[in-house]
Amino acid sequence: MPARQTVLIGLLGSVLDSGFHGERWNRWRPTVSLCMHKELPVARFELIHSKAHEHTARCVAADIQRTSPGTTVVLREQEFGNPWDFEEVYGSLHDFARGYPFRPEEEDYLVHITTGTHVQQICLFLLAESRHLPARLVQSAPAEPKRRGPDGKYSIIDLDLSKYDRIAARFQREARDAASFLKSGIETRNPRFNQLIEQIEHVAIHSREPVLLMGPTGAGKSQLARRIFELKKSRHQVAGVFVEVNCATLRGESAMSTLFGHTKGAFTGAVKDRPGLLRAADGGLLFLDEVGELGLDEQAMLLRALEEKRFLPLGSDRESSSDFQLIAGTNRDLAVAVRSGRFREDLLARMNLWTFHLPGLAERPEDIEPNLDYELDRVARGSGTRPVLGRDVREEFLAFARSPAARWSANFRDLNACVTRMATLSAGGRITREVMQGEIARLRSSWAPASDAPYRESIPAGVLDPATFQQLDLFDRVQLAAVIAVCRESATLSEAGRKLFSSTREKRKVQNDADRLRKYLARFGLDWQGCKG
Amino acid sequence: MLVIDGSQGEGGGQILRTALALSLQTGKPFRLEQIRAGRQKPGLLRQHLTAVQAAAAVGRAEVAGAALGSTTLEMHPGTVTPGDYHFAVGTAGSAMLVLQTILPPLLTASGVSTLTLEGGTHNPFAPPFDFVADSFAPLIRRMGPSIELELHRPGFYPAGGGKLQVVIHPVGQLSRLDLLDRGPIQRRLARALISIIPRQVADRELACVQQHLGWSEEECRVESVTHPTGLGNVLLLKVETEQVTGVFTGFGERRRSAEQVAQEATDAAMAWLRAGVPVDEHLADQLLLPMALAGGGSFRTVRPSSHTLTNADIIRQFLPVDIRVEQESPLAWQVVVASR
Repeated sequence: MPARQTVLIGLLGSVLDSGFHGERWNRWRPTVSLCMHKELPVARFELIHSKAHEHTARCVAADIQRTSPGTTVVLREQEFGNPWDFEEVYGSLHDFARGYPFRPEEEDYLVHITTGTHVQQICLFLLAESRHLPARLVQSAPAEPKRRGPDGKYSIIDLDLSKYDRIAARFQREARDAASFLKSGIETRNPRFNQLIEQIEHVAIHSREPVLLMGPTGAGKSQLARRIFELKKSRHQVAGVFVEVNCATLRGESAMSTLFGHTKGAFTGAVKDRPGLLRAADGGLLFLDEVGELGLDEQAMLLRALEEKRFLPLGSDRESSSDFQLIAGTNRDLAVAVRSGRFREDLLARMNLWTFHLPGLAERPEDIEPNLDYELDRVARGSGTRPVLGRDVREEFLAFARSPAARWSANFRDLNACVTRMATLSAGGRITREVMQGEIARLRSSWAPASDAPYRESIPAGVLDPATFQQLDLFDRVQLAAVIAVCRESATLSEAGRKLFSSTREKRKVQNDADRLRKYLARFGLDWQGCKG
Repeated sequence: MLVIDGSQGEGGGQILRTALALSLQTGKPFRLEQIRAGRQKPGLLRQHLTAVQAAAAVGRAEVAGAALGSTTLEMHPGTVTPGDYHFAVGTAGSAMLVLQTILPPLLTASGVSTLTLEGGTHNPFAPPFDFVADSFAPLIRRMGPSIELELHRPGFYPAGGGKLQVVIHPVGQLSRLDLLDRGPIQRRLARALISIIPRQVADRELACVQQHLGWSEEECRVESVTHPTGLGNVLLLKVETEQVTGVFTGFGERRRSAEQVAQEATDAAMAWLRAGVPVDEHLADQLLLPMALAGGGSFRTVRPSSHTLTNADIIRQFLPVDIRVEQESPLAWQVVVASR
């Protein structure tokens, strides 16, 4: 005899299962009919019913007993309060699931989800999906009118199995589509970037908490914030609009009023009420770019608006309210700003629940090609013709674009400008080698002055007069910066000399490191005291 | 061990029941393979399991593969043990089919048996109670055993709820039976059984009987089931002749008119009456097994059904008998069962 027995768990269908007259045998009654199938022996039926339907439950139990003598019907009285209320129904069924002595090693459980209110059916599904009910689902339906008999038909759904996998695959595809959407359809290849976008997609769909986008200028923070908004809008997760503001453009009194609004007469020039950008973003998404530039007063007000969804417009006695999601962008390290007292620590803590670092274009060399195509398409959308880039020209350009010489210091802004320029200069829509090479030269020169910026900063102010510094080659600047750094770490000239010439001093007959260093410094008009500052 | 192909001929169920009965009777183990192969739902169904369980209980048998959907079943019979048995069969099966499985071995068992069966007693695709009681049982009595059947309550599809009791006084050896002529008709009776069905349905069915077969009003009777448990309707035509009683049935079903129900029964009766043979199609099916157990017998019948022929094949595999089927005339066949 079969070792495992089938146990059905189901709710009494207060209407479909009812009936006390002979006529009931002509009808499909989900609970009774499910026990009539030739190939589905039911050892036990756990029939959940309310006190009010006890009579029907007893009749159903007797009818099952008669048509399926091998089935034991256990009546389980369970109250739902309002069977259309999600919380009550879920709670009640969850209690049942927790209290039921499941023996999955001996019994196969099937949960009948055809009876009960839709809310009850959904809750049963959820409990089975979360394995609170260690059961498969069974769905039943009346037979086609042509066929005789009230037994109807049924199908068993195993949430662990393939059909469900196909549904899950559909969700994955949707997630992939969403990720692709966030990338503006650009087929990026950089694994770190793709992973980042997947995380952002997940957070965008599942969270309303603030998001902090970090990254250099032109890395696409603003674009990404807008795509996140559009993704949420396509999923009906936001009702309001997308409001974008660059905090670096907000200064003084007007910063407060731009963000939080003002009442008429709040200050000179406030000729009428202004609701402010936070209010405008109510129900939508507010993108504050360069949030590190925000003044301390505005930061305090913003924190309150985030935590309490309320703020006080300038000159107003009454608080205004707005429920918005915040995305903040920054290209500087806010932790440093916090240490120097320029940024509120509590606001940063509130904002960096989800922090994402967007890499610059130079860090994603494999993504330059797809982005080049994206930019060419963009030009095509604007002008109607797509600039033609011959294969050789394209390869040569990409070789440069991916090389360390291409700094892409303004990231996508650089690429965008570069493609626009090449497209404009290409007569007849074809980008020639000459145009491309000219563009490379232009890029090189535009990056050159900016390129020494980091090294200049590493030579402490006041050590070298600006005129002397300007005359130095980059070659010398870099070397001098390192030498000065070592000097500043060392107690004496000799100690610095030992460190600086550590490899060659052993081979020399006369060890004169201090002298060598002194002479080197003298070439720039510097002495030991001068470089110690 | 005897290996039987369960996919042959028409019936999965019929092969199974015949094999179970013969195995208990002969003590021969068997393995049934490819049970209901090629069907939409292959393998054993619930009603088959009920029959297997009943056979195993009566024959103290060991069974392997008795699981739902199983396509192979093996049975090692023990000793057929008479006694009091109670089997409850659900909607999915007929109590009469369980009886068909366990009755033959109990006819020659070592003592009296009392069977209480619950479930469907008048189901389509199974012999109705009245056929077994009025047509089959009298012939069994002529072979020696005493068998009494009592219907406490009819059970119809789908509500079931029927109940019957069968008392069997066995004999050591069944005696030969020959049914070559039926003799003159002695009595005719048409009964329209209704359970929670309007009386006019029964009246219309009986009107058809009078019209098609020319039976009189006195030969027609409406019987309303007392204390009904579910809906049901069946039209039973009984023709008693000197040698044998023919029972022909029309089953009432949803979306089937009273006239269609009546025609099913009258067509079957007419075919038998016209052929002039004693044994009808369904009785032929049932008689082969006891005749083979008796070691011999013969009967004249209508064109044998594929059910009957499959049955004969299974019997030949278990018992040392020949079963010869010969056509005598356009409407009549002769079946002879003889020891090898």
